[in-house]
Amino acid sequence: MTTLVALMLFFPLAGAVLQAAFSRSLSRAASGTLAALAIAASLAAALAAVWNLGVAPHEITLGQWLAFDGFSANFSILYNRLAGLMTVTVTFVALLIHLYSAIYMREDTSFARYFCYLNLFVFFMLIIALADDLVFLFMGWEGVGFCSFALIGFWHEELPNVDAGRKAFLMTRVGDLGYVAALAIVIAASGSASITGLTAQIDAMPTATATLIGFLFLFAACGKSAQLPLSSWLPDAMAGPTPVSALIHAATMVTAGVYLLMRLEPLLAIAPDVGATAAVIGAATALYGAACAMGQRDVKRILAYSTISQVGYMFLAAGCGDVSGAFFHLQAHAFFKSLLFMVAGIMIQAAHEEHDIFRMGARLRRAMPGLFLLFACGAAALSALPLTSGYFSKGRTLADAIAHPGPAYLLAFILGAVAAFLTAVYVFRLCFVAFFSDPADPARLLSDPELARMERPLWPLAALALGYGFVNPPEFMGLKPWLDVYLAGTVTPLPPNVEHAEFFVEMIDAVLAVSGLLLAWLLYRPARHPVAAPAGALTAGLGLDAFYRTWIAAPYCRLSARLWRGVDEDMLDGAAMGAATGLLTLSRVAARLGSARPSTTLTTLLGAAAALLTWLALRLT
Amino acid sequence: MRQLPWLSLLIFWPLVAACCLPLSRGDATACRRFALLAALGELALAGLIAVLFAGPQPDLPVIEDLAWIPSLGIRYSLSLDGLSLIFVVLTALIGVCCMVASRHDDAKRPALYYALILAALSTVQGIFLASDLFLFALFWEAQLIPVFFLIGIFGHGDRMRVAIKFFLFSATGGLLMFLAVIALGILAANGPTGPTFALTDLTHAAVPVTVGRWLFAAFVLSFAIKIPLVPVHMWLPDAHTEAPTAGSLILAGLLLKTGGYALIRFALPLFPEAAHTFAPLLTALGIIGLFYASAVALAQEDVKRLIAYSSIGHMGLAVAAIVSGSRLALGGAVVLMVSHALTSGGLFSLAGMIGERLGSRRFEILGGLWNKAPRFGAAFLFCILASAALPGLSGFVGEAMIVFGLFKTHIWVGVLAVAGMAVTLVYLLRLARDTLFGPARSPLPFADLNARETALLCALAVCILLLGLFPGPVLSLAAGPLDSIAGLVWPAATPGL
Repeated sequence: MTTLVALMLFFPLAGAVLQAAFSRSLSRAASGTLAALAIAASLAAALAAVWNLGVAPHEITLGQWLAFDGFSANFSILYNRLAGLMTVTVTFVALLIHLYSAIYMREDTSFARYFCYLNLFVFFMLIIALADDLVFLFMGWEGVGFCSFALIGFWHEELPNVDAGRKAFLMTRVGDLGYVAALAIVIAASGSASITGLTAQIDAMPTATATLIGFLFLFAACGKSAQLPLSSWLPDAMAGPTPVSALIHAATMVTAGVYLLMRLEPLLAIAPDVGATAAVIGAATALYGAACAMGQRDVKRILAYSTISQVGYMFLAAGCGDVSGAFFHLQAHAFFKSLLFMVAGIMIQAAHEEHDIFRMGARLRRAMPGLFLLFACGAAALSALPLTSGYFSKGRTLADAIAHPGPAYLLAFILGAVAAFLTAVYVFRLCFVAFFSDPADPARLLSDPELARMERPLWPLAALALGYGFVNPPEFMGLKPWLDVYLAGTVTPLPPNVEHAEFFVEMIDAVLAVSGLLLAWLLYRPARHPVAAPAGALTAGLGLDAFYRTWIAAPYCRLSARLWRGVDEDMLDGAAMGAATGLLTLSRVAARLGSARPSTTLTTLLGAAAALLTWLALRLT
Repeated sequence: MRQLPWLSLLIFWPLVAACCLPLSRGDATACRRFALLAALGELALAGLIAVLFAGPQPDLPVIEDLAWIPSLGIRYSLSLDGLSLIFVVLTALIGVCCMVASRHDDAKRPALYYALILAALSTVQGIFLASDLFLFALFWEAQLIPVFFLIGIFGHGDRMRVAIKFFLFSATGGLLMFLAVIALGILAANGPTGPTFALTDLTHAAVPVTVGRWLFAAFVLSFAIKIPLVPVHMWLPDAHTEAPTAGSLILAGLLLKTGGYALIRFALPLFPEAAHTFAPLLTALGIIGLFYASAVALAQEDVKRLIAYSSIGHMGLAVAAIVSGSRLALGGAVVLMVSHALTSGGLFSLAGMIGERLGSRRFEILGGLWNKAPRFGAAFLFCILASAALPGLSGFVGEAMIVFGLFKTHIWVGVLAVAGMAVTLVYLLRLARDTLFGPARSPLPFADLNARETALLCALAVCILLLGLFPGPVLSLAAGPLDSIAGLVWPAATPGL
C-alpha cells in the first residue's frame, strides 16, 4: 500500500519536474503525452490502491519533516476509503482534462509550462486528498493555491489575467490564515496536528476549543472553496485557460475546502455551532451564486457562479454531518461541471474566443450537434432534472438540511431550495440563449476538425453526469446505495430520518427543477428573441468584489504610499538627516571658535578660562 | 584532528587570500578565479568542519582559547557550537555566491573588489565564532570597514553618501556596544572571576539590575541597527539600492544575520533580567516592523528597495520570535534567518542582473521579463515563493515554527504573525507582477541567465528546497545551543514548546 500511495504522488511530481527540466527540447505532442501518461499512471496507482483497500484505514508515514522541541510534523498519510475515492476522482477527471488540454492548447507556445503546472497541481491536490498530518496537508493546500495563481495568470502578457491570479492567491491566503491559526492552536496543545491525532483526542477536547478550531478551519475552507464572504476571486479566475477552470476551479481545488471539512468530521461532530454555520454559509452561498449567475453573459462566469453555488450545497451537507452525501455531490459536481466547462471551452473556441452567450445562438447547435448533446447532459445534471446525478446528489444535501432539527438548518433548507429553483432557471437560460436563440449580432463560427476531437474525452463525463446518481440512489427507490455502503465504515453513518426525508425532498426538487426549466423557456425561448439585461448588481456579484476593492485594497495602497513618503522618508529619514545637519552646524560653530583669526582664538581662550574659573569659584564656595 | 586551529583557519583563510589578491591585480580573470577558489576553499573548510565535528559522532563545541592581553583578561577565544556552525556554513556559502554574482561590478578594480569581499567574510566569520566579548566587539567594528569600501567604491549612483550613512549608523551603535562591553569588563573585574571578557564568565557575573538594563539597551541598540529594526532601519534601503550585487548579498545574507545572531548569543544570556523587561518593546518593534515594512515595500519603485524592505519585515518577525520566550519560535527565528539569507540572496542577485542588463531596476521599465527570459523568470518566481513561505520551501519552516511557538506564549503576537503572512504575500506578488508579467515596458533586449548565473541560482534553489523539505540537520544543530541559551533566560519555561 505504501508503494502504491507513494507512486500515486510520485508520477505527477515527476511529470512536472520533467516538463520543467526539458521545457525546451520537448515537442508539443511529447509534452502532452508525457503529462497525460503521468496522470494515467497516477490513476492506475489510485485504482490499484482502492482495489486493495479494506475498511480499515492505512496510516503511512513517508518520513519526518520537522521536529523541534516537542513539535513535529511528518509526511504522513491517512489512506481510508474517503481518500481512496477522492484520489480516484481527482486523477480520473484530471486525466480527461489533460487529454482535452492537449488539443485545446494546440496553438499555444507555452505548452510545457502549462503541463508542468497542471501536473504539479495534481500532485498537490493528491497531497490534500491523502495527507494525515495537517501541516503536510497545508503543503498541498498552499501548493494548489500557487498552481491556481500561475494558471489563472497563464497568459501573463495581459495584466488583468495576472491580477485575477493575484486576487485568487491573496484571497485564498487570507482564508489560509485561519488554517495556520487553527494549526497553531492544535499544535500548542499537543505538539503535532494530524487528523488521526485529532480524532483520537477528540473526547478530551473542550467544546470551546473545538468550536474555535472548527471555525478557523471553516474560514480556511471558505477561502479555498470560494464561499461567502471570500467568494469574489472565483469569477475572475475564469481568466485562465478553460481546461484549468474545469480542473481547478470546478472539479478539484474549490472542493478542497469541503473535503477538509469532511476529513475533520469528528471535530465538527463535537462542535455543532460550526456545522450549523457551515450549513447556513453553504446554503446562503448557493443562493448567492445562483442569483449572480442569472446576471452574467459570459458563459464561463455563469459556470463560475454556478460552481460557487454548487459547492455551497456541499458545505450544506458537510455542515449537517453527512459526509457521504457531501462527497456524493462533490463527485457528481466534479463530473458534470468539468463537462460543462470543457463544453464551454469548445463553444468559445468555435465562436472565435467569444464568451458572450448572447452572440452564439442556434447556429452553434446546428454546426456542432454533438457538442449540444454533451452540454444537455451536463445541464440536465446541474439543474437536477429527475434521475440525473445532480438530482440525487443535490436532493440528498437538501434532505440533510430538513432532517436536521433546528432553525438554522430550516433556514438553510429554504435558501437551498430557492437556489435549486434559480439553478434550473439560469442553466436553461444559458441553454436556450446559447443554443437556440437567433442573435442579431452573432459571432463568426470556426470550423476546425480539432474541435470535434476535443469532444471525445467528454463522453465518459456525460455518461457519468447522467448516470452517476444510481451509485447512491435514495432509499425510497429500493436500490442499493453503493457509496453509502462503501463509506459506511469510514464516516458516520447516515441518520435514518434523512432517508425518510429524501422522498419528500426529491419530489420538491423535481418540481423545482422542472418549473425552473419552464420559467426559463417562458423568458428565454427563441421566439421571444432574448436580449441581455443591462449589467446590474447581479452581474457585479452584488458588489462584493467592489466592496473589497474600495474598503480594503485601495486604502491599503494609499496607506502604503503614505507610510513610505510621509513616515519613512520624511519623518524617520528626515530625523536622521536633521541630526546629521545639527551635528554639522555644531561642528562649524566649534570650528569657528578655533579658526585662524587670532582675535577669535584669543576670545575663545579667555572665555573658556573665565568659564572654568567661574565654575571653580562656584564649587569652592 | 582537534589540534589543528580550525576556527582560526576559518577566520583568517579569507583574509590571507584577500592579502594575496593584489598580486594578480592586472588580470581580472585571474582575480575572479583566485577569489572563487578561495571562497570555495572556505566553503569546503566549513563543510569539512561540519562533517568532522557535527557528523555521526558530534563533538561540539570546538574551542580555541589563547591568552591575548592577560592583564585585562582579554583572550583570543573562539568557540564553535551548532548555532555558530549553521551561520559559519551559511557565510561560506554566501561568500561563494558573492564571487559569482556579478561580472559587471568588479570591472573597475577586480583585485580590490574581491579582496574586500573576502575581508568581509573573514570578519563575519569572526563574529560568529568569537566567544570573548572584546574579540567579538573587535570583529563587530571590523566588519564595517570592508563593506563601507565595497559600497563606497563599487556602488552605484550616490554611493559615497550612502556608504557614509551606513557607516555612521552602524558605528554609532557599535560605539555604544563597545562602551557596554568595557563597562561589563570593569564590573566583572571586581567580581570573583577577576578581569575577564569571556562570555561564559560574564554570563554569571552579578550585574546590578539598573546597570544591566542600560547595558542591554546599548547592546540591543547596536544589534537593532544591524538587524535592522524599525525605526533605525533607514540606512538599509539606501545601502541596498546603491550597493553592488555582492554588497547586497553580504548585507542581506550576512550582516543582518550577525545582528540576529548576536542578539541570541550575547544580549539574551548576558542580561536575562533586562531581556524580560525589554521583551515587550522588542516584540512590538518587530511586529510593527513586519507590517510597516510590508506596507512600505508595496509602494516601492525600485526592485532592490522593495527587497530591502522585505528584509526589514522578515527580520522584524525574527526579532519578535527571538524574545518571545518560546524555544520553538527561537528555533524558527534561526531557520527564518538562514532562509532569508538564501531567498534574499537569490532575489538580490536577480535584481542585480536586471540592473546590469537594463541599466535600471525601476518598475516603470520592467515587466514581461518571463517571455524574454524564462529561466530568469522561473528563478525569480521561485525565490519569491520561498520568501512568501510556501510550504516545502525554506521560508515556511521558519515562519511555521515561529507562529506555532508564539501561539504558545503570546497568542496575540502569534495572531499578528499569522496576519503577517498575508501582507508579505501582497508585496511579493506585486514584485512578481511588475517584473515578470504584463507587457514589456522596455524595448531593450534581456538575455536569459547564462551558465554562471544559472549555477548560482540552482545552488541557492537546492539549498532552499533542502532546508524546506529536510530541515532536520539544521534544527538538530541549533537545538542544543538554543536550549541552553533559552534555559538561562527563561528557566521556568516548560520544556516541550
